Amino acid sequence: MPTPDHRNRRNFWLSGSGAALIAGIFFALTHPTHCAGGDGKTEKQADTSTSNTAQTQKLSGQDLYTINCSRCHTERYPREWTPGQWKTLMMHMRVRANIPADQAREILKYMQEESGN
Amino acid sequence: MRSHSLVIRGLIGCALICLVVPIQTIAEVSDEDFAKLKSTVEDLSTEVQTLKTTHAEDQATIQKLQQKENKTEETATTAQQEATAATAAATAAAAATPAPAAISTHDFMVVGDAEVQFGQVIHPSQHAAFTLADFAPIFLFRTSDNVLFETGFDVTLSNNAPNSSGYTTNIDLSFATLDYMYNDYLTALLGQILLPLGTYSERGAGWLNKFPDDPLPRQILPENGAGIELRGALPLGDQGQSLTYALFGVNGPSSVDSSSNASQLDLFGNVGTQSNGVQGNLHEHPAGGGRIGWFYPWKPHYDVEVGISGEFGPWDNNENSLWYAAVVDAAVHVSPYVEIKGEYMNTWVQTSDMGTIQPRGWWIQGGYKLAGLNLDVPFVSNLELVARYDTIKDGLLEGMGSGTDRITGGLVYYITNTLWFEGDYEWLHSYGPNALPSQAYILQMSYGF
Repeated sequence: MPTPDHRNRRNFWLSGSGAALIAGIFFALTHPTHCAGGDGKTEKQADTSTSNTAQTQKLSGQDLYTINCSRCHTERYPREWTPGQWKTLMMHMRVRANIPADQAREILKYMQEESGN
Repeated sequence: MRSHSLVIRGLIGCALICLVVPIQTIAEVSDEDFAKLKSTVEDLSTEVQTLKTTHAEDQATIQKLQQKENKTEETATTAQQEATAATAAATAAAAATPAPAAISTHDFMVVGDAEVQFGQVIHPSQHAAFTLADFAPIFLFRTSDNVLFETGFDVTLSNNAPNSSGYTTNIDLSFATLDYMYNDYLTALLGQILLPLGTYSERGAGWLNKFPDDPLPRQILPENGAGIELRGALPLGDQGQSLTYALFGVNGPSSVDSSSNASQLDLFGNVGTQSNGVQGNLHEHPAGGGRIGWFYPWKPHYDVEVGISGEFGPWDNNENSLWYAAVVDAAVHVSPYVEIKGEYMNTWVQTSDMGTIQPRGWWIQGGYKLAGLNLDVPFVSNLELVARYDTIKDGLLEGMGSGTDRITGGLVYYITNTLWFEGDYEWLHSYGPNALPSQAYILQMSYGF
Protein backbone atom coordinates (compact mmCIF):
# COMPACT_ATOMS: atom_id res chain seq x y z
CA MET A 1 0.00 0.00 0.00
CA PRO A 2 1.26 3.48 -0.72
CA THR A 3 2.24 5.51 2.26
CA PRO A 4 0.66 8.91 2.92
CA ASP A 5 3.99 10.45 2.00
CA HIS A 6 3.88 8.74 -1.37
CA ARG A 7 0.31 9.82 -1.92
CA ASN A 8 1.12 13.44 -1.10
CA ARG A 9 4.14 13.43 -3.37
CA ARG A 10 2.16 11.90 -6.19
CA ASN A 11 -0.64 14.42 -5.79
CA PHE A 12 1.91 17.21 -5.78
CA TRP A 13 3.42 16.08 -9.06
CA LEU A 14 0.09 15.36 -10.67
CA SER A 15 -1.21 18.80 -9.69
CA GLY A 16 1.94 20.48 -10.91
CA SER A 17 1.91 18.76 -14.28
CA GLY A 18 -1.77 19.47 -14.72
CA ALA A 19 -1.20 23.16 -14.04
CA ALA A 20 1.70 23.23 -16.49
CA LEU A 21 -0.40 21.53 -19.14
CA ILE A 22 -3.26 23.97 -18.69
CA ALA A 23 -0.84 26.91 -18.82
CA GLY A 24 0.64 25.61 -22.06
CA ILE A 25 -2.75 25.16 -23.66
CA PHE A 26 -3.82 28.63 -22.53
CA PHE A 27 -0.70 30.14 -24.03
CA ALA A 28 -1.29 28.40 -27.32
CA LEU A 29 -4.94 29.39 -27.49
CA THR A 30 -4.15 33.05 -26.89
CA HIS A 31 -1.82 33.23 -29.90
CA PRO A 32 -3.01 33.51 -33.50
CA THR A 33 -3.16 30.34 -35.51
CA HIS A 34 -0.75 29.97 -38.39
CA CYS A 35 -0.40 27.23 -40.86
CA ALA A 36 2.83 25.39 -40.38
CA GLY A 37 3.74 24.21 -43.80
CA GLY A 38 5.51 27.26 -45.10
CA ASP A 39 3.53 28.20 -48.19
CA GLY A 40 3.45 31.77 -49.46
CA LYS A 41 0.36 32.75 -47.55
CA THR A 42 1.77 31.51 -44.31
CA GLU A 43 5.00 33.36 -44.86
CA LYS A 44 3.15 36.62 -45.34
CA GLN A 45 1.22 36.02 -42.18
CA ALA A 46 4.40 35.27 -40.34
CA ASP A 47 6.01 38.48 -41.55
CA THR A 48 3.61 40.53 -39.49
CA SER A 49 2.80 38.15 -36.69
CA THR A 50 5.12 39.24 -33.90
CA SER A 51 8.06 41.47 -33.31
CA ASN A 52 10.09 38.41 -32.47
CA THR A 53 9.32 37.02 -35.89
CA ALA A 54 10.52 40.14 -37.62
CA GLN A 55 13.70 40.17 -35.59
CA THR A 56 14.45 36.53 -36.22
CA GLN A 57 14.18 37.03 -39.97
CA LYS A 58 17.28 39.18 -39.85
CA LEU A 59 19.12 35.90 -40.24
CA SER A 60 18.93 34.42 -43.70
CA GLY A 61 17.37 31.06 -44.38
CA GLN A 62 20.82 29.70 -45.11
CA ASP A 63 22.13 30.91 -41.74
CA LEU A 64 19.17 29.40 -39.93
CA TYR A 65 19.65 26.17 -41.84
CA THR A 66 23.27 25.98 -40.71
CA ILE A 67 22.44 26.92 -37.14
CA ASN A 68 19.58 24.49 -36.65
CA CYS A 69 20.43 21.54 -38.86
CA SER A 70 24.17 21.09 -38.57
CA ARG A 71 24.04 20.58 -34.83
CA CYS A 72 22.53 17.13 -35.35
CA HIS A 73 23.55 15.89 -38.77
CA THR A 74 25.74 16.53 -41.78
CA GLU A 75 24.62 18.87 -44.49
CA ARG A 76 21.74 17.82 -46.72
CA TYR A 77 21.83 19.58 -50.05
CA PRO A 78 18.77 21.46 -51.33
CA ARG A 79 18.80 19.59 -54.61
CA GLU A 80 18.34 16.24 -52.87
CA TRP A 81 14.58 16.77 -52.65
CA THR A 82 11.79 18.58 -54.47
CA PRO A 83 10.08 21.67 -52.99
CA GLY A 84 7.10 19.56 -51.97
CA GLN A 85 9.33 17.00 -50.27
CA TRP A 86 11.22 19.74 -48.47
CA LYS A 87 7.91 20.97 -47.12
CA THR A 88 7.17 17.53 -45.72
CA LEU A 89 10.68 17.14 -44.35
CA MET A 90 10.63 20.53 -42.66
CA MET A 91 7.37 19.69 -40.92
CA HIS A 92 9.05 16.53 -39.65
CA MET A 93 12.19 18.36 -38.55
CA ARG A 94 10.30 21.23 -36.99
CA VAL A 95 8.57 18.73 -34.70
CA ARG A 96 11.56 16.49 -34.10
CA ALA A 97 14.11 19.21 -33.37
CA ASN A 98 11.65 21.73 -31.91
CA ILE A 99 12.62 24.43 -34.41
CA PRO A 100 10.65 27.69 -34.02
CA ALA A 101 8.00 27.93 -36.72
CA ASP A 102 9.21 31.17 -38.27
CA GLN A 103 12.76 29.83 -38.49
CA ALA A 104 11.47 26.61 -40.03
CA ARG A 105 9.65 28.64 -42.67
CA GLU A 106 12.79 30.60 -43.53
CA ILE A 107 14.79 27.39 -43.82
CA LEU A 108 12.07 25.85 -45.98
CA LYS A 109 12.01 28.89 -48.23
CA TYR A 110 15.77 28.66 -48.68
CA MET A 111 15.74 24.94 -49.42
CA GLN A 112 12.89 25.25 -51.89
CA GLU A 113 14.49 28.13 -53.70
CA GLU A 114 17.78 26.30 -53.98
CA SER A 115 16.23 22.98 -54.86
CA GLY A 116 16.24 23.81 -58.58
CA ASN A 117 12.99 21.97 -59.19
CA MET B 1 -40.46 124.01 -136.28
CA ARG B 2 -37.79 123.86 -133.80
CA SER B 3 -40.09 124.27 -130.71
CA HIS B 4 -42.36 121.70 -132.12
CA SER B 5 -39.62 119.14 -132.32
CA LEU B 6 -38.60 119.88 -128.72
CA VAL B 7 -42.07 119.14 -127.56
CA ILE B 8 -42.12 115.96 -129.48
CA ARG B 9 -38.78 114.95 -128.05
CA GLY B 10 -40.04 115.73 -124.49
CA LEU B 11 -43.07 113.62 -124.95
CA ILE B 12 -41.04 110.73 -126.33
CA GLY B 13 -38.66 110.97 -123.33
CA CYS B 14 -41.46 110.86 -120.80
CA ALA B 15 -42.95 107.91 -122.54
CA LEU B 16 -39.64 106.01 -122.36
CA ILE B 17 -39.25 106.81 -118.69
CA CYS B 18 -42.70 105.56 -117.98
CA LEU B 19 -41.89 102.36 -119.78
CA VAL B 20 -38.52 101.71 -118.07
CA VAL B 21 -38.97 102.75 -114.41
CA PRO B 22 -41.24 100.44 -112.32
CA ILE B 23 -44.16 101.98 -110.74
CA GLN B 24 -43.06 101.07 -107.12
CA THR B 25 -39.63 102.68 -107.34
CA ILE B 26 -41.24 105.57 -108.38
CA ALA B 27 -43.24 105.31 -105.16
CA GLU B 28 -42.14 107.58 -102.40
CA VAL B 29 -40.26 106.02 -99.06
CA SER B 30 -41.39 107.43 -95.78
CA ASP B 31 -38.98 108.37 -92.91
CA GLU B 32 -40.58 105.82 -90.63
CA ASP B 33 -39.92 103.00 -93.07
CA PHE B 34 -36.41 104.17 -93.58
CA ALA B 35 -35.82 104.21 -89.82
CA LYS B 36 -37.16 100.65 -89.49
CA LEU B 37 -35.02 99.54 -92.34
CA LYS B 38 -32.00 101.15 -90.82
CA SER B 39 -32.68 99.52 -87.45
CA THR B 40 -33.06 96.14 -89.08
CA VAL B 41 -29.78 96.57 -90.94
CA GLU B 42 -28.04 97.53 -87.70
CA ASP B 43 -29.47 94.48 -85.88
CA LEU B 44 -28.32 92.24 -88.67
CA SER B 45 -24.91 93.77 -88.55
CA THR B 46 -24.69 93.15 -84.77
CA GLU B 47 -25.75 89.54 -85.20
CA VAL B 48 -23.19 89.03 -87.92
CA GLN B 49 -20.53 90.46 -85.65
CA THR B 50 -21.61 88.17 -82.77
CA LEU B 51 -21.55 85.17 -85.08
CA LYS B 52 -18.11 86.13 -86.25
CA THR B 53 -16.89 86.28 -82.62
CA THR B 54 -18.51 82.93 -81.75
CA HIS B 55 -17.02 81.39 -84.84
CA ALA B 56 -13.58 82.62 -83.87
CA GLU B 57 -13.98 81.11 -80.38
CA ASP B 58 -15.19 77.83 -81.86
CA GLN B 59 -12.22 77.76 -84.14
CA ALA B 60 -9.90 78.21 -81.13
CA THR B 61 -11.67 75.43 -79.20
CA ILE B 62 -11.50 73.11 -82.18
CA GLN B 63 -7.82 73.81 -82.50
CA LYS B 64 -7.22 72.99 -78.84
CA LEU B 65 -9.22 69.77 -79.13
CA GLN B 66 -7.23 68.78 -82.15
CA GLN B 67 -4.03 69.36 -80.24
CA LYS B 68 -5.31 67.23 -77.35
CA GLU B 69 -6.38 64.52 -79.72
CA ASN B 70 -2.95 64.50 -81.25
CA LYS B 71 -1.35 64.16 -77.85
CA THR B 72 -3.73 61.35 -76.85
CA GLU B 73 -3.00 59.49 -80.03
CA GLU B 74 0.68 59.95 -79.41
CA THR B 75 0.37 58.63 -75.82
CA ALA B 76 -1.71 55.68 -76.94
CA THR B 77 0.83 54.82 -79.57
CA THR B 78 3.66 54.95 -77.04
CA ALA B 79 1.72 52.83 -74.54
CA GLN B 80 0.95 50.28 -77.18
CA GLN B 81 4.56 50.10 -78.19
CA GLU B 82 5.63 49.65 -74.56
CA ALA B 83 2.98 47.00 -73.95
CA THR B 84 4.11 45.15 -77.00
CA ALA B 85 7.71 45.31 -75.84
CA ALA B 86 6.76 44.15 -72.31
CA THR B 87 4.74 41.25 -73.66
CA ALA B 88 7.65 40.23 -75.82
CA ALA B 89 10.02 40.44 -72.85
CA ALA B 90 7.68 38.41 -70.62
CA THR B 91 7.28 35.79 -73.30
CA ALA B 92 11.03 35.58 -73.71
CA ALA B 93 11.52 35.31 -69.93
CA ALA B 94 8.85 32.62 -69.62
CA ALA B 95 10.51 30.70 -72.41
CA ALA B 96 13.90 30.99 -70.70
CA THR B 97 12.74 30.08 -67.13
CA PRO B 98 10.37 27.17 -66.58
CA ALA B 99 7.46 27.87 -64.26
CA PRO B 100 7.99 26.54 -60.72
CA ALA B 101 6.20 23.32 -60.01
CA ALA B 102 3.13 23.65 -57.83
CA ILE B 103 3.51 22.15 -54.38
CA SER B 104 1.01 19.41 -53.79
CA THR B 105 -1.30 19.48 -50.81
CA HIS B 106 -0.46 15.85 -50.02
CA ASP B 107 2.92 14.21 -50.02
CA PHE B 108 4.37 10.85 -49.05
CA MET B 109 8.03 10.15 -48.68
CA VAL B 110 10.44 7.77 -47.02
CA VAL B 111 13.58 8.79 -45.20
CA GLY B 112 15.59 6.98 -42.57
CA ASP B 113 18.84 5.13 -42.22
CA ALA B 114 20.45 1.74 -42.53
CA GLU B 115 23.43 0.20 -40.79
CA VAL B 116 25.59 -2.86 -41.14
CA GLN B 117 27.91 -3.86 -38.31
CA PHE B 118 30.91 -6.11 -38.02
CA GLY B 119 32.44 -6.58 -34.61
CA GLN B 120 33.86 -8.73 -31.91
CA VAL B 121 33.75 -8.88 -28.18
CA ILE B 122 37.27 -9.68 -27.05
CA HIS B 123 36.68 -13.01 -25.37
CA PRO B 124 38.30 -16.43 -25.92
CA SER B 125 35.00 -18.02 -26.93
CA GLN B 126 33.80 -15.34 -29.30
CA HIS B 127 34.80 -14.62 -32.87
CA ALA B 128 34.42 -11.64 -35.09
CA ALA B 129 31.24 -11.61 -37.13
CA PHE B 130 28.73 -9.47 -38.91
CA THR B 131 26.54 -8.66 -35.99
CA LEU B 132 23.83 -6.35 -37.20
CA ALA B 133 21.85 -5.41 -40.28
CA ASP B 134 19.48 -2.62 -39.39
CA PHE B 135 16.98 -1.00 -41.71
CA ALA B 136 15.22 1.95 -40.11
CA PRO B 137 12.78 3.65 -42.48
CA ILE B 138 10.72 6.67 -41.51
CA PHE B 139 7.49 7.15 -43.41
CA LEU B 140 6.18 10.69 -43.65
CA PHE B 141 2.73 11.52 -44.93
CA ARG B 142 1.76 15.18 -45.17
CA THR B 143 -1.97 15.67 -45.54
CA SER B 144 -2.11 19.46 -45.22
CA ASP B 145 -0.09 22.45 -44.11
CA ASN B 146 -0.43 21.48 -40.47
CA VAL B 147 -1.05 17.74 -40.32
CA LEU B 148 1.72 15.16 -40.65
CA PHE B 149 1.74 11.46 -39.93
CA GLU B 150 5.16 9.99 -39.27
CA THR B 151 6.24 6.54 -38.26
CA GLY B 152 9.63 4.90 -37.83
CA PHE B 153 10.64 1.27 -37.72
CA ASP B 154 13.72 -0.66 -36.80
CA VAL B 155 14.04 -3.88 -38.77
CA THR B 156 16.86 -6.09 -37.47
CA LEU B 157 17.98 -9.70 -37.48
CA SER B 158 18.62 -11.96 -34.51
CA ASN B 159 20.26 -15.37 -34.51
CA ASN B 160 18.07 -18.16 -33.19
CA ALA B 161 21.08 -20.27 -32.08
CA PRO B 162 21.78 -21.98 -29.78
CA ASN B 163 18.18 -23.01 -29.08
CA SER B 164 17.02 -23.39 -32.68
CA SER B 165 18.06 -22.88 -36.26
CA GLY B 166 17.57 -19.94 -38.52
CA TYR B 167 17.09 -16.33 -37.64
CA THR B 168 14.32 -14.04 -36.63
CA THR B 169 13.46 -10.72 -38.21
CA ASN B 170 12.57 -8.18 -35.59
CA ILE B 171 10.39 -5.23 -36.47
CA ASP B 172 10.16 -2.62 -33.76
CA LEU B 173 7.88 0.36 -34.02
CA SER B 174 10.06 3.18 -32.77
CA PHE B 175 7.40 5.82 -33.13
CA ALA B 176 4.10 6.41 -34.88
CA THR B 177 2.51 9.78 -34.34
CA LEU B 178 -0.12 12.02 -35.82
CA ASP B 179 1.29 15.54 -35.60
CA TYR B 180 -1.13 18.44 -35.57
CA MET B 181 0.49 21.87 -35.72
CA TYR B 182 -2.10 23.99 -34.00
CA ASN B 183 -0.13 27.22 -34.34
CA ASP B 184 3.44 28.50 -34.39
CA TYR B 185 3.95 27.60 -30.75
CA LEU B 186 2.04 24.40 -30.19
CA THR B 187 2.14 21.02 -31.88
CA ALA B 188 0.19 18.05 -30.58
CA LEU B 189 1.46 14.51 -31.13
CA LEU B 190 -0.67 11.44 -30.57
CA GLY B 191 0.45 7.85 -30.75
CA GLN B 192 3.70 6.11 -29.95
CA ILE B 193 5.97 8.99 -29.01
CA LEU B 194 9.72 9.29 -28.77
CA LEU B 195 10.09 10.58 -25.23
CA PRO B 196 11.97 13.86 -24.77
CA LEU B 197 14.04 12.57 -21.86
CA GLY B 198 17.26 14.24 -22.82
CA THR B 199 17.76 14.52 -26.56
CA TYR B 200 19.29 11.18 -27.47
CA SER B 201 16.11 9.25 -28.24
CA GLU B 202 14.89 11.97 -30.60
CA ARG B 203 18.19 12.86 -32.24
CA GLY B 204 20.27 9.73 -31.78
CA ALA B 205 19.17 7.56 -34.67
CA GLY B 206 21.84 5.23 -35.99
CA TRP B 207 22.74 7.55 -38.81
CA LEU B 208 23.04 10.53 -36.48
CA ASN B 209 25.06 8.77 -33.80
CA LYS B 210 28.80 8.93 -34.32
CA PHE B 211 29.27 5.67 -32.45
CA PRO B 212 27.91 2.28 -33.53
CA ASP B 213 26.23 1.68 -30.18
CA ASP B 214 24.22 3.69 -27.68
CA PRO B 215 25.52 5.19 -24.46
CA LEU B 216 25.07 2.62 -21.70
CA PRO B 217 22.93 4.72 -19.32
CA ARG B 218 20.21 5.12 -21.95
CA GLN B 219 19.16 1.63 -20.80
CA ILE B 220 17.60 3.05 -17.66
CA LEU B 221 15.25 5.35 -19.59
CA PRO B 222 12.28 4.41 -21.76
CA GLU B 223 12.82 5.40 -25.39
CA ASN B 224 9.16 5.82 -26.25
CA GLY B 225 5.68 5.65 -24.85
CA ALA B 226 2.07 5.49 -26.00
CA GLY B 227 0.19 8.68 -25.29
CA ILE B 228 0.01 12.36 -26.17
CA GLU B 229 2.59 15.11 -26.28
CA LEU B 230 2.36 18.88 -26.59
CA ARG B 231 5.50 20.63 -27.75
CA GLY B 232 6.77 23.78 -29.38
CA ALA B 233 9.43 26.45 -29.47
CA LEU B 234 9.53 30.17 -28.76
CA PRO B 235 12.08 32.28 -30.64
CA LEU B 236 14.23 34.46 -28.43
CA GLY B 237 16.17 37.43 -29.74
CA ASP B 238 17.30 37.84 -33.31
CA GLN B 239 20.13 35.34 -33.68
CA GLY B 240 18.20 32.08 -33.76
CA GLN B 241 17.90 31.55 -30.04
CA SER B 242 14.90 29.62 -28.80
CA LEU B 243 13.21 28.22 -25.75
CA THR B 244 11.73 24.80 -26.34
CA TYR B 245 9.22 22.82 -24.33
CA ALA B 246 7.58 19.44 -24.38
CA LEU B 247 4.89 18.04 -22.12
CA PHE B 248 3.68 14.47 -22.41
CA GLY B 249 1.34 11.97 -20.83
CA VAL B 250 1.92 8.29 -21.61
CA ASN B 251 0.96 4.94 -20.16
CA GLY B 252 4.39 4.84 -18.59
CA PRO B 253 6.51 2.09 -17.13
CA SER B 254 4.78 -1.01 -15.88
CA SER B 255 5.38 -4.25 -14.02
CA VAL B 256 5.95 -7.55 -15.78
CA ASP B 257 4.10 -9.58 -13.15
CA SER B 258 2.01 -6.72 -11.71
CA SER B 259 4.09 -6.60 -8.50
CA SER B 260 6.46 -3.88 -7.42
CA ASN B 261 9.47 -6.14 -6.99
CA ALA B 262 12.60 -4.49 -8.31
CA SER B 263 13.26 -7.12 -10.94
CA GLN B 264 9.82 -6.66 -12.51
CA LEU B 265 10.19 -3.08 -13.74
CA ASP B 266 9.28 -2.87 -17.44
CA LEU B 267 10.27 0.44 -19.00
CA PHE B 268 9.37 -0.44 -22.57
CA GLY B 269 5.98 -2.19 -22.46
CA ASN B 270 2.52 -1.03 -21.44
CA VAL B 271 1.31 0.13 -24.81
CA GLY B 272 -2.30 -0.52 -23.92
CA THR B 273 -3.03 -3.98 -25.27
CA GLN B 274 -1.74 -7.02 -23.42
CA SER B 275 -0.85 -10.38 -24.92
CA ASN B 276 -4.12 -11.79 -23.51
CA GLY B 277 -6.14 -9.22 -25.43
CA VAL B 278 -6.98 -7.09 -22.44
CA GLN B 279 -6.90 -3.41 -23.29
CA GLY B 280 -6.06 -0.63 -20.91
CA ASN B 281 -3.27 0.78 -18.86
CA LEU B 282 -1.77 -1.75 -16.48
CA HIS B 283 -2.17 0.77 -13.69
CA GLU B 284 -4.87 3.34 -13.22
CA HIS B 285 -2.90 6.55 -13.72
CA PRO B 286 -0.64 7.40 -16.63
CA ALA B 287 2.85 8.79 -16.34
CA GLY B 288 3.66 12.38 -17.15
CA GLY B 289 6.72 14.42 -17.88
CA GLY B 290 8.37 16.98 -20.06
CA ARG B 291 11.47 18.84 -21.09
CA ILE B 292 12.49 22.49 -21.21
CA GLY B 293 15.44 23.42 -23.35
CA TRP B 294 17.35 26.58 -24.20
CA PHE B 295 19.23 26.86 -27.47
CA TYR B 296 21.69 29.70 -27.84
CA PRO B 297 23.63 30.04 -31.10
CA TRP B 298 25.84 33.09 -31.38
CA LYS B 299 26.72 32.42 -35.00
CA PRO B 300 26.44 29.50 -37.40
CA HIS B 301 28.30 26.44 -36.08
CA TYR B 302 28.73 28.04 -32.66
CA ASP B 303 26.02 27.20 -30.16
CA VAL B 304 25.08 25.87 -26.77
CA GLU B 305 22.00 23.89 -25.86
CA VAL B 306 20.99 22.84 -22.37
CA GLY B 307 17.87 21.05 -21.25
CA ILE B 308 16.26 19.53 -18.21
CA SER B 309 13.65 16.84 -18.42
CA GLY B 310 11.85 14.29 -16.31
CA GLU B 311 9.06 11.79 -16.00
CA PHE B 312 7.17 10.24 -13.14
CA GLY B 313 4.30 7.84 -12.62
CA PRO B 314 3.20 4.63 -10.95
CA TRP B 315 4.64 1.44 -12.37
CA ASP B 316 3.10 -1.51 -10.52
CA ASN B 317 -0.50 -2.55 -11.11
CA ASN B 318 -1.68 -1.54 -7.65
CA GLU B 319 0.08 1.81 -7.84
CA ASN B 320 1.95 1.18 -4.65
CA SER B 321 5.24 2.34 -6.17
CA LEU B 322 6.34 5.25 -8.27
CA TRP B 323 9.04 5.62 -10.88
CA TYR B 324 10.84 8.94 -11.37
CA ALA B 325 13.45 10.07 -13.85
CA ALA B 326 15.43 13.29 -14.12
CA VAL B 327 17.75 14.11 -17.02
CA VAL B 328 20.09 17.01 -17.72
CA ASP B 329 21.44 17.33 -21.24
CA ALA B 330 23.89 19.70 -22.86
CA ALA B 331 25.57 20.14 -26.24
CA VAL B 332 28.21 22.58 -27.45
CA HIS B 333 29.47 23.32 -30.96
CA VAL B 334 32.57 25.43 -31.41
CA SER B 335 33.28 25.87 -35.12
CA PRO B 336 32.16 23.36 -37.76
CA TYR B 337 34.74 20.90 -36.44
CA VAL B 338 34.22 20.57 -32.68
CA GLU B 339 31.24 19.03 -30.95
CA ILE B 340 30.79 18.05 -27.30
CA LYS B 341 27.58 16.71 -25.81
CA GLY B 342 26.35 14.55 -23.00
CA GLU B 343 23.58 13.67 -20.59
CA TYR B 344 23.24 12.94 -16.91
CA MET B 345 20.31 10.83 -15.77
CA ASN B 346 19.05 9.58 -12.45
CA THR B 347 15.99 7.46 -11.82
CA TRP B 348 14.24 6.47 -8.61
CA VAL B 349 12.31 3.23 -8.45
CA GLN B 350 10.16 2.51 -5.42
CA THR B 351 10.04 -1.22 -4.84
CA SER B 352 8.43 -3.54 -2.33
CA ASP B 353 11.52 -5.68 -1.83
CA MET B 354 14.49 -3.32 -2.05
CA GLY B 355 13.19 0.02 -1.04
CA THR B 356 13.94 2.87 -3.41
CA ILE B 357 16.75 2.08 -5.85
CA GLN B 358 18.46 4.59 -8.08
CA PRO B 359 19.61 3.36 -11.48
CA ARG B 360 21.71 6.19 -12.84
CA GLY B 361 24.52 7.14 -15.16
CA TRP B 362 25.92 9.72 -17.49
CA TRP B 363 27.81 10.00 -20.73
CA ILE B 364 29.85 12.57 -22.54
CA GLN B 365 31.28 12.45 -26.04
CA GLY B 366 33.35 14.70 -28.24
CA GLY B 367 34.30 14.84 -31.85
CA TYR B 368 36.88 16.74 -33.87
CA LYS B 369 36.79 16.88 -37.67
CA LEU B 370 40.28 16.93 -39.09
CA ALA B 371 39.13 19.25 -41.84
CA GLY B 372 39.75 21.91 -39.23
CA LEU B 373 43.49 21.38 -39.67
CA ASN B 374 43.29 22.68 -43.26
CA LEU B 375 45.68 20.01 -44.47
CA ASP B 376 44.00 19.81 -47.87
CA VAL B 377 44.41 16.04 -47.88
CA PRO B 378 41.16 14.37 -48.99
CA PHE B 379 41.34 11.28 -46.81
CA VAL B 380 42.36 13.15 -43.70
CA SER B 381 39.91 15.95 -44.28
CA ASN B 382 37.05 13.46 -44.33
CA LEU B 383 37.94 12.02 -40.93
CA GLU B 384 36.47 12.83 -37.56
CA LEU B 385 38.03 11.58 -34.36
CA VAL B 386 35.56 10.73 -31.62
CA ALA B 387 35.79 9.74 -27.98
CA ARG B 388 33.19 8.88 -25.37
CA TYR B 389 32.99 8.11 -21.68
CA ASP B 390 29.84 6.59 -20.26
CA THR B 391 28.95 4.98 -16.97
CA ILE B 392 25.93 3.17 -15.56
CA LYS B 393 24.97 1.80 -12.18
CA ASP B 394 21.83 -0.25 -11.62
CA GLY B 395 21.42 1.15 -8.14
CA LEU B 396 21.09 -2.10 -6.28
CA LEU B 397 22.67 -2.61 -2.92
CA GLU B 398 26.39 -3.15 -2.54
CA GLY B 399 27.30 -6.69 -3.53
CA MET B 400 24.09 -7.18 -5.52
CA GLY B 401 24.36 -4.39 -7.99
CA SER B 402 26.12 -4.12 -11.30
CA GLY B 403 27.84 -1.23 -12.96
CA THR B 404 30.05 -0.40 -15.90
CA ASP B 405 32.44 2.37 -16.81
CA ARG B 406 33.39 2.49 -20.47
CA ILE B 407 35.88 4.45 -22.53
CA THR B 408 35.42 4.45 -26.28
CA GLY B 409 37.74 5.80 -28.94
CA GLY B 410 37.01 5.79 -32.62
CA LEU B 411 36.72 7.56 -35.92
CA VAL B 412 34.18 8.44 -38.54
CA TYR B 413 35.09 8.58 -42.21
CA TYR B 414 32.64 10.57 -44.29
CA ILE B 415 32.47 8.94 -47.72
CA THR B 416 29.62 11.27 -48.68
CA ASN B 417 27.40 13.53 -46.63
CA THR B 418 25.11 10.57 -45.93
CA LEU B 419 27.38 7.51 -46.14
CA TRP B 420 29.77 7.02 -43.24
CA PHE B 421 32.17 4.42 -42.03
CA GLU B 422 32.50 4.23 -38.26
CA GLY B 423 34.89 2.25 -36.17
CA ASP B 424 35.47 2.25 -32.44
CA TYR B 425 37.27 0.32 -29.74
CA GLU B 426 35.83 0.04 -26.26
CA TRP B 427 37.49 -0.55 -22.91
CA LEU B 428 35.11 -1.51 -20.15
CA HIS B 429 35.44 -1.75 -16.40
CA SER B 430 32.42 -3.71 -15.28
CA TYR B 431 31.40 -5.40 -12.05
CA GLY B 432 28.53 -7.31 -10.47
CA PRO B 433 26.31 -10.15 -11.63
CA ASN B 434 25.71 -8.49 -15.00
CA ALA B 435 29.30 -7.50 -15.69
CA LEU B 436 30.22 -6.96 -19.35
CA PRO B 437 33.33 -8.14 -21.24
CA SER B 438 36.34 -5.93 -20.87
CA GLN B 439 36.99 -5.03 -24.50
CA ALA B 440 35.20 -4.93 -27.83
CA TYR B 441 35.41 -3.35 -31.23
CA ILE B 442 32.69 -2.50 -33.71
CA LEU B 443 32.88 -1.45 -37.34
CA GLN B 444 29.82 0.01 -38.99
CA MET B 445 28.63 1.41 -42.29
CA SER B 446 25.84 3.92 -41.86
CA TYR B 447 23.68 5.38 -44.55
CA GLY B 448 21.11 8.10 -44.09
CA PHE B 449 18.46 8.55 -46.75
